[in-house]
Amino acid sequence: MTDRQIMTGDEIRRAIVRISHEIVEKQAGTQGLALVGIQRRGVPLARRIADAIEEHEGVRLPVGALDITFYRDDLSLVAQQPIVKGTDLPFDLNGTTVVLVDDVLYTGRTIRAAMDALIDFGRPRAIRLAVLIDRGHRELPIRADHVGKNVPTSREEIVKVHVEEVDGREEVSIGRQLRAGEAASADQA
Amino acid sequence: MSSQSVTSGRAKAAGPSVGEVLERFELQKAWLVDPVSGREGTGEIVVTDGILESVVWLEGEEAKGVDDKGVIVAPGFFDLHAHFREPGFEDAETVATGSAAAAHGGYTTVALMPNTSPTLDEPGVLERIRSAARAGGSPVEVLAFGAVSAGRAGEQLSAMGELADAGVIGYSDDGAPVRSPKLLRSALLYAGMLGLPVVDHAEDLELTAAAEANEGYVASVLGLAGWPAAAEVNAVSRDLAVLADARRDEPHARLHLTHLSTAASLDLVRRAKAVGLPVTCDVTPHHLALTDEWIAGARRWSWEALSAEGSSRDPWADGALTAWPYNTSLRVNPPLRTPVDAAACLAALLDGTASAVVTDHAPHTVVDKKVEFGAASNGISGIETALGLLLALVDAGRLPLARAIAALTTGPASILAAWPAVAATPAARKRGLTEGAAADLVVFDRADRWAVTEESLRSRGKNSPLIGRELSGRVLLTIAGGRLAYEDPEVGDG
Amino acid sequence: MSVKTEAGAAHAAGSAPTQEVVWHHRHLLDVDVLTWPEIELIMRTTDEMKGILARPIRKVPALNGRRVTTLFYEASTRTRVSFETAARNLSADVVSVSTATSSVTKGESLVDTIRTLEALGAEILVMRHSVSGAPYLAAEIFGGHVLNGGDGWHAHPTQALLDLYTMRQHLPGGDLRGRKVAIVGDILHSRVARSNVWSLTAAGADLWLCGPATLLRGMDRWATAWSGGSVPGHGRFHVTSDVDAAVRDADVVMALRIQRERMQGGLLPSLREYAARFGLNTERVSLAKPEAIVMHPGPMNEGVEISPDVATSGRAVITEQVANGVAVRMALLYLLAGAHEAAGEHEVGHEVGHAHEGPHAPEATR
Repeated sequence: MTDRQIMTGDEIRRAIVRISHEIVEKQAGTQGLALVGIQRRGVPLARRIADAIEEHEGVRLPVGALDITFYRDDLSLVAQQPIVKGTDLPFDLNGTTVVLVDDVLYTGRTIRAAMDALIDFGRPRAIRLAVLIDRGHRELPIRADHVGKNVPTSREEIVKVHVEEVDGREEVSIGRQLRAGEAASADQA
Repeated sequence: MSSQSVTSGRAKAAGPSVGEVLERFELQKAWLVDPVSGREGTGEIVVTDGILESVVWLEGEEAKGVDDKGVIVAPGFFDLHAHFREPGFEDAETVATGSAAAAHGGYTTVALMPNTSPTLDEPGVLERIRSAARAGGSPVEVLAFGAVSAGRAGEQLSAMGELADAGVIGYSDDGAPVRSPKLLRSALLYAGMLGLPVVDHAEDLELTAAAEANEGYVASVLGLAGWPAAAEVNAVSRDLAVLADARRDEPHARLHLTHLSTAASLDLVRRAKAVGLPVTCDVTPHHLALTDEWIAGARRWSWEALSAEGSSRDPWADGALTAWPYNTSLRVNPPLRTPVDAAACLAALLDGTASAVVTDHAPHTVVDKKVEFGAASNGISGIETALGLLLALVDAGRLPLARAIAALTTGPASILAAWPAVAATPAARKRGLTEGAAADLVVFDRADRWAVTEESLRSRGKNSPLIGRELSGRVLLTIAGGRLAYEDPEVGDG
Repeated sequence: MSVKTEAGAAHAAGSAPTQEVVWHHRHLLDVDVLTWPEIELIMRTTDEMKGILARPIRKVPALNGRRVTTLFYEASTRTRVSFETAARNLSADVVSVSTATSSVTKGESLVDTIRTLEALGAEILVMRHSVSGAPYLAAEIFGGHVLNGGDGWHAHPTQALLDLYTMRQHLPGGDLRGRKVAIVGDILHSRVARSNVWSLTAAGADLWLCGPATLLRGMDRWATAWSGGSVPGHGRFHVTSDVDAAVRDADVVMALRIQRERMQGGLLPSLREYAARFGLNTERVSLAKPEAIVMHPGPMNEGVEISPDVATSGRAVITEQVANGVAVRMALLYLLAGAHEAAGEHEVGHEVGHAHEGPHAPEATR
């Protein structure tokens, strides 16, 4: 089953840059901002956004990683991915505006879990959401503040984001069934 | 007859119901085994009006096409040790259901142990059992042992003389040993005087207090309180010493040791017999075929758990564990022992140290068995699976078919023949395929397997570790004293 | 205030830990059915749980709405509270049944008790019982998950796992291979010892079980059976009544509780004699390596199997064991709860769906 490429490496790069500008624009600066990537692929994306912001604003924002394994509403995934790539929040959450970063926004459940997790660690001033791909089919009232690309999909399709840091290549593609054990964005939610 | 029957013969049952005299039954070209004459081979039998009218051995051409792997005719089996729980524990079994189970297992005579409630320690209880047998309508012959001690309490002798007059075939406190050596000696003397034996369940109660499973590797790993072999060896040793003493005073003192399970105790009996002590013993099918590794979850036969050097294999190392551990249908007294002990039981049977196989049929209710292992009652419901287990040994080439049949027929009969007061009674008859005698036989098909399930077991006791397994040797017909005792539902075309 | 977990730090640094193992056990009745990769999965999950315990809000909603029922036939406040804390930390609903106050004293059978609890909504049953094998009966009839909190003399899987976790925290690289571990005490009656045999031999440790001969009975048979390294995945271990030999140069020394009842049973002359000949006192413990840790599953009989100064010394990690216990139990509740949908019905010897399904394909993942 061949997958259809919908973003090349260059397109990903440009989207990241645009998102990084939008984030700063919305905040009217970099004061009080922090980026938190959602495991797994949201983390390198968050880092890249921070890199881009550093380049055009000269400020290095704090970057964290958030593992939402224990906040999912669906324990049946435990067997396939019992654990956990870890949570690392090297800054004080209280009063900070946190921009959650994830690769794909689908039903919204991952983001709900991420917000629950974040709030257990402290009381952010605000939470925003930046995603590389919004594929629709929301099951919860959640929307992204910043979107790299809107991609209408059907439920049988799978959006696969590949990043250098995890997969060794850069592209976004759409395919059909996810094979058992495939490491692509299986945590699409 | 099931369609997988190997024989070319046909069986025609006369169509009676259980308990009725068999007017006419013919079996052509089956494999006959007569343990009295020692003869085995192709033959034909005819039963008329309950009498085994003719036994014809076929020779040469006529005998072709039939071997000992198909339909087999043997004398009806004799179980020298079973528990039918009536009176007192009818939820577990009654004389009627026990007899039905016995017949399903191919047994035509069963000797019951006295651990009923009230104990069979005076003739009134024996009469209750006998009338229950009559009322049940099964032709299976029911014999009984009286208790050695009143109430099996181990203190005073029971009404031994009255019990002898009423027709018990011996005395036992089974379920428990005869507690004190002093009482055992008195019992041996008194019973000997009456011409009857004492049958002892050899167990040193002090060593087995709170014990759960054979003391050994498996119990160590499973964290079960050990039941040392020494408990049996000790008791056997004591019994033999007391016997040696007693017979000096009473030459007819007789001891029978039942369900021996350890290599060491069988060896003691071997040596005692060699010096002429009047002792006999028996072993059970479960001690021959099953081992303590079944408690850990293994399901291989005892001989499959023996290494080439003759030592016990390690089920954890072999990956032999295929079922849940701690299955309470495996909890029995004496406990299932090691593969080496099981091999010793077989060796004892082969060299005559053990004269018979008995089932120690011990049915229990679900309430008593579906509990934690350490809380479960001891006992295996085994009268229906005894033949199947012995045939597994025969199939594996470990026991000749004729020896297996003998262990179930002439073996127990020979034990009775050594007890003067019983030797002349019909119970001690030879049990062969004898023309002119009342038909007492079992017909089974070695090529036909049957599934052991709660439904297929006739006993009320479903506590069999073989449930879920198939055994070979489906019993087709059991005739006791000329009457139909059991007929396989698929047999019989009028 | 910042939060970081070990795995998180590793991941943030760019290295991704590989997880090949899929958890498929519906119950955890003993460690004997666990493969080494599965044990490592439990260790990693425990790491994460410890991370949660370090947070200001020591709770995650992973088991939200799930019912964990503790059924303790043996009084044990510490273990029961540990399980209940673990369950609450995962936001599970907890119901405690201790038989002293339940209908069991009126003669209700184990089977009936479990059926009743299931009808009352129990999903995960944490069971402790004084008879070996009881949780296997429970697992046969219970439709949910059974976690063995200790059965008779047989097994105490969560204790063995928390012991292993604690040892790995203190040994370089978390590696037990070749490390000497001495367990001293009433080995015969100890489910802690038995489960530790399985887990420590799987970890490659050099395990020594030690106690007076009367309390070692039968264990030598086990050690001999395994002496050739015959059971796949498990190495040999030693059994001895020479406590100095057992403790000498050990990396870990563990004392097991000696119960007063052993004297009544004719197994020990007196507790005083035990303390003198086998107790872990300062002198004896000094035979071990200088950096060796001292452990005890608790509760302790100070002055009998362990002297008060050893129990409170810097080498003793007993309170860590308690804390690790909560984390390990959280990890197991989490893994078991998530396993149900994915669990196949027929795995290794001890994992059969229901009794009437009969035995299944022989397969040992050891």
